[in-house]
Amino acid sequence: MKEKLEQLRAQALDSLKGIKDKKGLDELRIKIMGKKGQLTEILRGMGALPAEERPKIGQLVNRIRQELEERFGEVEAEIEERLKKERLAFETVDITMPGKKRRTGGLHPLSSVLEVLIDIFVSMGFDVVDGPEVETDYYNFEALNVPKDHPARDTQDTFYLTDKFLLRTQTSSAQIRVMENRKPPIRIISPGRVYRADEVDATHSPVFHQVEGLVVDRGITMCDLKGVLEQFAREIYGPETKVRFRPSFFPFTEPSVEVDVSCGECGGQGCRVCKDAGWIEILGAGMVHPNVLAGCGIDPEIYSGFAFGIGLDRLTTTRHKISDIRLLFENDLRFLEQFS
Amino acid sequence: MKVSLNWLRRYVDIPVSVEELCDKMLQAGFEVESVEDLSKSMENVVVGRIERMEKHPNADRLQVCRVDVGAGEPVQVVTGAGNVFEGALVPVALHGSRLPNGMQIKKGELRGVESLGMLCSGQELCLKESDYRGAEADGILILLDDYPPGTDMRAVLGLDDVIIDFSVTANRPDCQSILGIAREVSVVLKTEFKKPAPLYKTKGGDINSYISVEVRDYELCPRYFGRVVTNVRIGPSPDGMQKFLKACGMRPINNIVDITNFVLLETGQPMHAFDLRDVRGHRIIVRRAENGEKITTLDGKEHTLSPEMLVIADAERPSCLAGIMGGLDSEIKDDTTEIFFESAKFRRDSVRHTARTLGVRTESSARFEKGTDIYNVEYAMERALSLIYELGVGDIVEGVIDCNDGLPQERVLKVTVSGVNSLLGLEIPGETMVEILNRLSIKTSLSGNTLTCVIPSFRDDIEGRADIAEEVMRIYGYHHIVGTPMKGLVVRGRKSHERLCGDRIKNCLVAQGLHEIATYSFISEKALDILGIEQDDPRRRAIRILNPLGEEYSVMRTQLVYSMLNVMSINYSRKIPAVRFFELSKVFVPDSVPITKQPEERPALSIGLYGEQEDFFTLKGIVEAVLAEFNIVPEYQRSGEPHLHPGRQAAAVADGRAIAVFGEVHPDTSEKFGFNNRVYVAEIRADILMAAKKPLAVYKPLPRFPAIERDLALVCDVGMPVAEIEKVIREHSGEYLESVQLFDVYQGTQIEKGKKSVAYRLVFRSPEFTLKDEDVEPAMNRVIEELSGKGCYLRS
Repeated sequence: MKEKLEQLRAQALDSLKGIKDKKGLDELRIKIMGKKGQLTEILRGMGALPAEERPKIGQLVNRIRQELEERFGEVEAEIEERLKKERLAFETVDITMPGKKRRTGGLHPLSSVLEVLIDIFVSMGFDVVDGPEVETDYYNFEALNVPKDHPARDTQDTFYLTDKFLLRTQTSSAQIRVMENRKPPIRIISPGRVYRADEVDATHSPVFHQVEGLVVDRGITMCDLKGVLEQFAREIYGPETKVRFRPSFFPFTEPSVEVDVSCGECGGQGCRVCKDAGWIEILGAGMVHPNVLAGCGIDPEIYSGFAFGIGLDRLTTTRHKISDIRLLFENDLRFLEQFS
Repeated sequence: MKVSLNWLRRYVDIPVSVEELCDKMLQAGFEVESVEDLSKSMENVVVGRIERMEKHPNADRLQVCRVDVGAGEPVQVVTGAGNVFEGALVPVALHGSRLPNGMQIKKGELRGVESLGMLCSGQELCLKESDYRGAEADGILILLDDYPPGTDMRAVLGLDDVIIDFSVTANRPDCQSILGIAREVSVVLKTEFKKPAPLYKTKGGDINSYISVEVRDYELCPRYFGRVVTNVRIGPSPDGMQKFLKACGMRPINNIVDITNFVLLETGQPMHAFDLRDVRGHRIIVRRAENGEKITTLDGKEHTLSPEMLVIADAERPSCLAGIMGGLDSEIKDDTTEIFFESAKFRRDSVRHTARTLGVRTESSARFEKGTDIYNVEYAMERALSLIYELGVGDIVEGVIDCNDGLPQERVLKVTVSGVNSLLGLEIPGETMVEILNRLSIKTSLSGNTLTCVIPSFRDDIEGRADIAEEVMRIYGYHHIVGTPMKGLVVRGRKSHERLCGDRIKNCLVAQGLHEIATYSFISEKALDILGIEQDDPRRRAIRILNPLGEEYSVMRTQLVYSMLNVMSINYSRKIPAVRFFELSKVFVPDSVPITKQPEERPALSIGLYGEQEDFFTLKGIVEAVLAEFNIVPEYQRSGEPHLHPGRQAAAVADGRAIAVFGEVHPDTSEKFGFNNRVYVAEIRADILMAAKKPLAVYKPLPRFPAIERDLALVCDVGMPVAEIEKVIREHSGEYLESVQLFDVYQGTQIEKGKKSVAYRLVFRSPEFTLKDEDVEPAMNRVIEELSGKGCYLRS
């Protein structure tokens, strides 16, 4: 009996070596350890043994069963491992195939550039304030030190709605409303749409956008103006950017300056972008005219301030190298997608 | 302001290059629009005198000339022209020369005879009759005046000059003149400013026996100055004067007119010369025009005048538009012998208004509009008389006419050094300020901290401390301004509530694949007709622009859909297969038109879609998402927009207000925009979104017990709105209902005609225990029973 068992064990282990798949394994398991399997068969013969032999044989049977179970388990694990590897190998994909995208949209480039500007100025403590686009002659001109029939009106061809109302030609009108309604310290920017009766071409649009800035407080100087604009210019054009002031004229600031930044394309050497000047004009600025302050009930002997006006459309076109301002208002999807 | 460098050099030394001059002027506030070096057009062309002419040995029609070109031996030049003669002065293009037409001349042989250059015609030098007399005649240009051989032709033609176009800002009318620019140049280069001193003698007589002047409106004409010249000999003005005029863009006419133009350019003071014969009654009256009065100006145009316009009239009728243009009948003629010179100050806003109203703009009106100096009136006259005297073209009559209502006093301004510095943020010494201001002709002295400045009459723009600061700064140099971090109270910056809401709207739409567009705020007044909007619709109340660029841009928009359709139409015409767009902008909503107060500028949102993936419900999904962003759960009602499909449009209504109207565009409308596909638009009241409050999210415990799902397949009439069915389900399915979802709608062969099948999934859950079938059975039965009352029955 013992021999028979040993023989069965040896045979089983031998057969196990040839097993390649789960089906074969299950068949072998049933053949040996199933209810009608060989091991059970042998056990049935136990009754014929003398009583003192039975426990020994019983132990042996159990040991062999346990060993075979373990071995069967190992083989099964091996088979499973191999199958998994085969499946994974089979599932390999071409990783160079394109990803599945869910299409998102995007902001208009004027909006995204404005967001950059707003972030810069909000971080410097500027509030963002909006003003009306339909303005009175007073807020758009007179309060800004531009009386009727003043030559400064020549440069701003105005759309009139009635004698009194017009479409604002500059966001500077918002300055006045802010100064009338707030007490210093004032630190605001006012972005918005402005209108001028310019014929449409590659650099002119009758509808465009400005970002007005205004600071009024005690002891504000031109050096502060330059400090703020340098900060802005470095964020927009890069940390190496230099800022240059040139004297100019705006009725509502005195002194007035045009502000140039060093050309980022050539580093100031002169190139096509800056028309060989090495500088690019980006905005007009100046110290708020005492007449303007006084007109808003702010004593120019106590307070001073500065104002600046950034042309958002020009900033957008230069920043993204957009060759024609009309593209901004045409809204061709292929154009818009380039900025999303 | 176009400035001839040669002319400028008469009044100021310029010991630097043109580039440096331009750069220095830029730093002082004068942008340079352009620099034109006239001498670049022609090189190595000189005046030659033909000494001897011989027939060419091998060609009948050629001549061999020996030409004195002022340097050593005469040169041999072969020419084919027939109009040259011995002794003639002609332009000679020497070996290695370049002509304005690009031709390069080299020595060569013509039929075996050496030619060291070329004799030039007027055409070859690109000259017109107005550039040089006889320039357009056939053959070689014969020079009329006596120039030494070898003279550079550029000097003869006035091409030895550089024209610099300075841009002059509106606050500096004094620089609309060569002398004004010269003064600034002298300041930036620290060289002497040489203002020409008047020099002339009178020939007796008495002006009052020739003319009388009456100014009836000193408001509009604060000063009127006049002189008389007799024995005038009209003729061309000298070459030098003509060259300067041409360089600055003016056409020489005759000596008298040229003198007035020369003085205008030189001093910035416009002048006018009248033929005294044509001043009726020997009277000049400066007055407002009578209503309907007419005048024919020098350019031959007739104008009808009104009383706000100032005219210079004689005893009978207007003969000049004051400060703008002279009249045709009193102009200087070839046989004029006695003239009256006018130099006056006219009020700038009056001249501007008249010039604009009549559409006449001249060099003269341009200067008056910007403002002239009341004291310069007299200086300009003196300059004109000096030129008359210098050229010997007339006799100056004794006596002046000077009508004025009192001349303004000298203005003295006191400002403090520290006040100027506090504006600039610098510590410029008082002495430096004094030095700069004096160079600018602002006579300044320093006493302690106080600057006392005498403001010259030509600097009306200087009113106070800020102006003095600017004058000091632009000469001291803006490079001294060093950026400093702002001082002062710490203030907090933030976006307005409306802008933050705008950001939320944009983020929500961008995440759903929409691209933002930007369009003009004014549109065609036909837009509403195209959309078929009813005449009594409030959107018809739109603000018109009085002076639009064209009909296309003539009214302020009251809706955004039209612009959206336009943009989609452009994209569609460019074969872009699908778009998803939105625009967040404003519509202009007036109380009444024409407006008497500012209109409401109402934030508005439009959405536009087309493409294979799109239908009414993709649009509705986007609208729902935007409203949900602001916690608005509206009811959907059928709407009646004429530009939308009658069966595929809806209004989202909350609190009795339509927040959004959206749908498929009506085929008639989409055809007008060139669409051949289905297009979807929505217009949303962004103002209502922005006013909505979104409560802060509060945590709800996550479910701990499993849910029970029940599917409900119903058959109902095709016209039955599913929202009604859902409403019944929600009302009657008891406390455990967690969600209801419509997951199928079917209409077709499997279903009776006129019916549709709708299938819902109901999810039930209790937060306290695991539901059993019997817990939801009564609710399901109630729902089915209620629905059968609405004509819905279970699908078998």
